[in-house]
Amino acid sequence: MTEHALLVDGIVRRFGGVRAVDGASFTVQDGSITGLIGPNGAGKTTVFNIISGFLRADGGAVTFRGRRLDGFPPHRIAQAGLVRTFQAPRILTRMSVLENLMLGGVKQPGERFALACLLGSASRREREVREEAMAVLDLLRLTHLAPAYAGTLSGGQRKLLELGRALMAAPRLLLLDEPLAGVAPALADQLLDHVGTLRKHRGMTILIIEHDMEAVMSICDWVVAMDQGRVIASGTPRQIQTNERVIASYLGTVAAAHV
Amino acid sequence: MDILNPAFWVFVGVVAGIYGLLALALYVQFSMAGLPNFGHVAFMALAAYTMALLVIRADVALVWAGVAGIAAAVALGLLLGIPSVRLRANYLAIATVAGSEMIRYLSTNLNLTGGAVGSVGMLGPTHFATYTNAWQPFIESITAALRHAVGSVATTDFSMFCLVWVTLGLLLMLFRRLERSPWGRVMKAIREDEEAAASLGKHVEAYKLQALVLGGIVGGLAGILWALEIGVFSPDDFQPTLTFYAYLILILGGMNRVWAIPVGAVLFGVLYSGTRFLSFFPLSLVDTGERAYLRLLIVGLVLVLLMAVRPQGMFGKREELLLEK
Amino acid sequence: MLNEWHMGSLLLQLIYNGLVEGAILALTGLGATLVWGIQRVANFAHGDYMTLGAYVAFLLDVTWSTNPVVAAIGTVVATAALAVGLHFILLRPLRGRGLVALSLITVGLGLVLRNALFLVAGSQPRQYAFNQTAVIDLGFVRVAPAELWTGIAAITAVPAVAAMLAWTPLGKTMRAVADNRDLAEISGIDTDGIGLYVWIVAGALAGLGGAMLALVQGTFDPNLGFNVLFLILTVVVLGGIGNAFGALLGGLVLGVVMEVSTWPPFFGGVPTQYQPVVGFVVLILLLMFRPQGILGRARVL
Repeated sequence: MTEHALLVDGIVRRFGGVRAVDGASFTVQDGSITGLIGPNGAGKTTVFNIISGFLRADGGAVTFRGRRLDGFPPHRIAQAGLVRTFQAPRILTRMSVLENLMLGGVKQPGERFALACLLGSASRREREVREEAMAVLDLLRLTHLAPAYAGTLSGGQRKLLELGRALMAAPRLLLLDEPLAGVAPALADQLLDHVGTLRKHRGMTILIIEHDMEAVMSICDWVVAMDQGRVIASGTPRQIQTNERVIASYLGTVAAAHV
Repeated sequence: MDILNPAFWVFVGVVAGIYGLLALALYVQFSMAGLPNFGHVAFMALAAYTMALLVIRADVALVWAGVAGIAAAVALGLLLGIPSVRLRANYLAIATVAGSEMIRYLSTNLNLTGGAVGSVGMLGPTHFATYTNAWQPFIESITAALRHAVGSVATTDFSMFCLVWVTLGLLLMLFRRLERSPWGRVMKAIREDEEAAASLGKHVEAYKLQALVLGGIVGGLAGILWALEIGVFSPDDFQPTLTFYAYLILILGGMNRVWAIPVGAVLFGVLYSGTRFLSFFPLSLVDTGERAYLRLLIVGLVLVLLMAVRPQGMFGKREELLLEK
Repeated sequence: MLNEWHMGSLLLQLIYNGLVEGAILALTGLGATLVWGIQRVANFAHGDYMTLGAYVAFLLDVTWSTNPVVAAIGTVVATAALAVGLHFILLRPLRGRGLVALSLITVGLGLVLRNALFLVAGSQPRQYAFNQTAVIDLGFVRVAPAELWTGIAAITAVPAVAAMLAWTPLGKTMRAVADNRDLAEISGIDTDGIGLYVWIVAGALAGLGGAMLALVQGTFDPNLGFNVLFLILTVVVLGGIGNAFGALLGGLVLGVVMEVSTWPPFFGGVPTQYQPVVGFVVLILLLMFRPQGILGRARVL
């Protein structure tokens, strides 16, 4: 298990005079769950936005399975198998939960105008996508909410729905931006279980930004720590927990906050 | 005109159908893809002018002139849309207003388009130009056929009424089907949150351009039918307020419900034509010249009140509208 | 030689006219940009606020024969009151509905105001009690008394408004909120309460601009302001939405560009009736290449 799924090499991003990301480099190994940690403002979400194509980097390269992806628009990156979630879940509030999920489905010929004219919603693929969506709902234990407007869901349920929608998009690498933030503890455990299952059963690679250190240390195989736009350390959870720079810049403050 | 005269109501029906088409064109862009076009009438005007000019000055067959008119409307949509699809929605609103005002200024001031006189002046002041020579026999043949079926009710206006409403009906069915398709699902997602759609691999710009093209086609069609219905037209027939009549129809119908468009169109047709041609109390207090202002005032008032009090229209669910994005 | 001298003096004249018209666009565009940036409304009734100002001024100047300064003050107070009234009755209760919905409401509002004016004041052209044929020679240009008044109004109002924005607490606050509402809110500024002042400024300037426009044109009817609405929106985009100084500068630039474009040595001169087209071309080019406006910073749109 030494192959790199994702290679982030020296990316830079400035906002005005501030270097939000200042030459960050790290790798995500195929089949791993890699955690990205660091204090607020360390540049984690900016890194995510660059990887997923929502922001253009001022320098550096992003390589996914041997293919340069930097400079590609977001939809091309998602089609390449790199699917993300957002820190504040971007669910489609005025569509049903089921529709939210079905939107994520890949290879839908009915999304093309001409075929949509001919077939409407009656196609084999559409039935398959519906079944896939129902299966995901089942997995997330949200089946009873299928016809509800997504806007009526609670914050935690929205996080689950967004995770499910990302799964529908058949990711090879899943980018999760703070999946546990604002989620009730019981639901958080459920979410973590899902993430673990995904790797085990579907062989998915996962990159996760998370502030909940306990969670990060328990599910990640590898942790990358950032501070002030740079990667200051990377290693196994155990190595990171004892790394002095990480403790000084981040873990120390987290520990203090938990006292 | 007599309120009981069926000919009057047939005409109201034609007007309602054509505005319904314009509203449908707007629906594709605004309700489906979230692109606010505040100058939609330009599609109608450009298509009508292109068709009339090709027939009158270049002797092109009416059918091809009509197709070219619609193509011109599509081209305008793309011209204004391509730079704007990447921008925030409000910029598109401004760009479309500017585009439609430009068309209006040019059509009013160019000799080519007959200036303020309009289509009859397209060959200069000494000729009477007309583009309906090929249309008259066609619509007459439809009228003759209809007369066999329904008797003396069938007039040319009645034929037009059938033509417009059949077109509108077919398009409504098509758009309803589209809306329920995976294509429609992507459109809806883009309207709600385009970044979310992009994050799932949907090519947002391509869909927005499709909406602009579709809106251009349907809007252009509305312009051509309108030109054929009234026989001669001038820049005044394509006032900027027409766009907002179409918005009013959409709002009457609830913005996000395609089948509510014909209902909105009929209500609007009655409101609009009713205040224009009928003369009963209290309308009789206002003299005919001033009634146009009264009509527009009422349109404005209804627009404000509906948006303020019942933004979901007659059929929409308020909860749906108020769900936060 | 004579022709060249003539062209030179014509150019000066055009620049003077352009600056006066530009000042009108700058003042009204400033109001519109503050409303757009702070209140999140693209006010399609802004032109009709102007028209109303022109008619109030007409009422004061012709019907009640007050002197021009009193008429100007009365106009400004009246349109400010109208703008504030509509803010509290209509727009404020509906805030949060989204820019497009609110803009549609102002479209309807504009239709109501404009056609109510047509019904009440009639469609016949009106003019103020100024001698339209008299000419005052200022040395470098010759102007009619009406043009002199508008010139005076322009050179007092534009710098006064600019100073207000630059140095008074209210001006600074408004610029801060227009620039970044969220940041202003965090800094403890009452972003809701400021709406009152925004509409006072926007309404007052719209009234003043409307009266000035009516003066410059000589005659006017209830379509006066609506006819320049799109130029005002152009100024807003030109300056960058919510950018107060941008709107002032954008208005002046647009006014001068549109006037000078008719100067014969400039590609033979654009025919006068196409002047607005010049404005629209400017707008569309701007949207294509610099949507953040001339003074705006590139932001994520």
